[in-house]
Amino acid sequence: MITLALVGNPNCGKTTLFNQLTGTTAYVGNWPGVTVEKKEGIYRGMRILDLPGIYSLSPYSPEEKVARRYILDEQPDLIIDVIDSTNLERSLYLTTQLVELGRPVILALNMTDLLEKNGITIDAKKLSMLFNCPAIQLSASKNQGLENFDEIIHQTLDSRKLPACPLFSNTVEQYITPIIADDYLHNLPQGRPMRWAAIKLIEQDELFLSSMPPIPPSTKKLIDQACAALTVTYDDDPEAVLIDQRYKVAEKIRSACQTSIKKEERFSLDKIATSKYGAIPLFALVMAGVFYFSIQLVGGITTPLIERFFSFVTTHLGAYLSSIGVIPILNGLLVNGIIGGVGSVLTFVPQLFVLFLLLRILEDCGYMARIAFIMDRIMRSIGLSGKSIIPLVIGTGCSVPAIMCSRTIEHQRERELTVIVTPFIPCGAKMPTFALFISFFFPGRWYIAPLIYFLGILSVIITGLVSQKLDRHKETNAFILELPHYQVPTAKNVWLQTKERISGFIHKAGTIILLAAAGIYVLQSFSFTLQPVTPDASILATVGRFLSPIFKPIGFGYWQATVALLTGIAAKESIVSTLTVTLGGAALSTIFTTRSALAFMAFVLLSTPCIAAQSAMYKELGSNKKKFWKAVGYQMGFAYLVAFVIYLVA
Amino acid sequence: MSNTVGSLTLGETGTVDAIDAPKELKRRLMDMGFTRGVAVKMIKVAPLGDPIEVELRGYNLCLRKAEGEHISLQQEPMK
Repeated sequence: MITLALVGNPNCGKTTLFNQLTGTTAYVGNWPGVTVEKKEGIYRGMRILDLPGIYSLSPYSPEEKVARRYILDEQPDLIIDVIDSTNLERSLYLTTQLVELGRPVILALNMTDLLEKNGITIDAKKLSMLFNCPAIQLSASKNQGLENFDEIIHQTLDSRKLPACPLFSNTVEQYITPIIADDYLHNLPQGRPMRWAAIKLIEQDELFLSSMPPIPPSTKKLIDQACAALTVTYDDDPEAVLIDQRYKVAEKIRSACQTSIKKEERFSLDKIATSKYGAIPLFALVMAGVFYFSIQLVGGITTPLIERFFSFVTTHLGAYLSSIGVIPILNGLLVNGIIGGVGSVLTFVPQLFVLFLLLRILEDCGYMARIAFIMDRIMRSIGLSGKSIIPLVIGTGCSVPAIMCSRTIEHQRERELTVIVTPFIPCGAKMPTFALFISFFFPGRWYIAPLIYFLGILSVIITGLVSQKLDRHKETNAFILELPHYQVPTAKNVWLQTKERISGFIHKAGTIILLAAAGIYVLQSFSFTLQPVTPDASILATVGRFLSPIFKPIGFGYWQATVALLTGIAAKESIVSTLTVTLGGAALSTIFTTRSALAFMAFVLLSTPCIAAQSAMYKELGSNKKKFWKAVGYQMGFAYLVAFVIYLVA
Repeated sequence: MSNTVGSLTLGETGTVDAIDAPKELKRRLMDMGFTRGVAVKMIKVAPLGDPIEVELRGYNLCLRKAEGEHISLQQEPMK
């Protein structure tokens, strides 16, 4: 099967194009670094790959290594170089490297719809001529210019035409030529074109050198001569000289193909969004607004309605089923186990839908990168990066994508710390637990819910400060981030992405949580000898009692709470459904006091996240078992400690 | 006249001369377009004084002042 690879700078619209071509709804957003893993799809019978964005073929952060390894080692049949038309020069810098790889290339000039507004015109024909490959103007988000895309791909593949490599200055070329002619380069492994390899040898690219056979002395001498001469001529190291040469080529081609009229400076949202006094209050206001609108306002209206609906269903269905003679155990399983358990989770669908929708709009409009910019100073003082704020904001919806997008953080320590603290931010699945306890123990006390968020943030800060104290090597960390253009999110994309997330939540309620609730009901109805018993003598109670002493010091050493926390490992929503099932009709106050309720909420908030988030953590900690268990141990220990303090003080 | 990108004042433009930084960081900064002779304009300083936003090669980039200090500017007067 033919394989196409989408390659380009971060945030140039590769995934949007991928979604458009394959008809999928892969995760997109308007900030650099949304895609951190390669994704596969099918476009008109061809395999198409979406790769993380890269600025050059010399990788810097882990997700860029994924892209480079793929491009070099897996040999796509064709490279689709996705170019942000509003940022032509820097995009062409990458193009100058891609055309050297000995693969056919198509230049996909994306974001064409934004050109007019920016007063830019691009001569795509000329660009195509200069690189000897097709150049197509398109807009992936508007689905424009993609009508004949597959034909162009087939023509390019059939013609076997390779793109032209732009030449550097004569001085540089005179050193590249003899290295290309050297015998050493004639035995290159597949997929290592000679010109590209010669340049890599001069650059002393370590990743490349490690994949090559040892260099014979005669070739080594040739390379050393070239390096020494370049260093003297340009007064810089050879790698820098070549980057400079590439940019010179990019400048030249850009000025030949692009005309731009200086437009009057338009009003930019950045006048407020990153302003000296307004920026941080605005961020606080935006986040408070998101939660107020989704949880207080929408949730406040829909939750009682849906609860009433489910209690209506359970009462009447239960009565009906016993009237027609269904045995009590089956009746209970269906009504109290399944409907009760799943219903307690489904209650949260409307408010989570609104929360996901609003987060989606934040991700799409371009604000995320601005938050990273304004918060970097604060985040750095607690050992994190400005980019850590993006996972923390996304984590209010779900920790899994949040933990994954920490991958773009350049510095390893900052990245790992972000992975460990992201689950402290209450995700949508923990919300049912808090809502249940607050409405029972603290009705009308509106400040409890925000306090939970503050506790989450405080835990992030404490963890950051502690780890900074423990860290002995003070390294200088990099923070380099491109600010995307603001854009009005398209209704279609917001809808598709929100639908994807909320249907994931509903799907979970219909599978994992349904099974867990049914399983819990069965386990609490029978004893080990399979006799129907009261819950207190059941299998579940026996198992729960075995572990519950652990939670005694923090106020909830009851088997019901223990079992609820255990099922929470599969999915945090299960905590509520399990409590609903195990307590039967009894009130929460049979096993909780106000104090232990607070401790329980804190423990749920801070303890190790669900299994899906744990596996994301494991992956982002470099699949390092030791680091992972340390992280899990820390989260557990920290949660226990905080719950203990709260139980003592409250 | 500012010596480095990190010390540019608001709205000031400078021309890149050289980058003095560890290999990886130097390469990254050059990949982003900081090569000799490029004009860099200081657009904004973040509310808490760091990082900074600069414009170069027609796009906007954020970096910490410490990174900006690695990029020295040419000293002849600019228009």
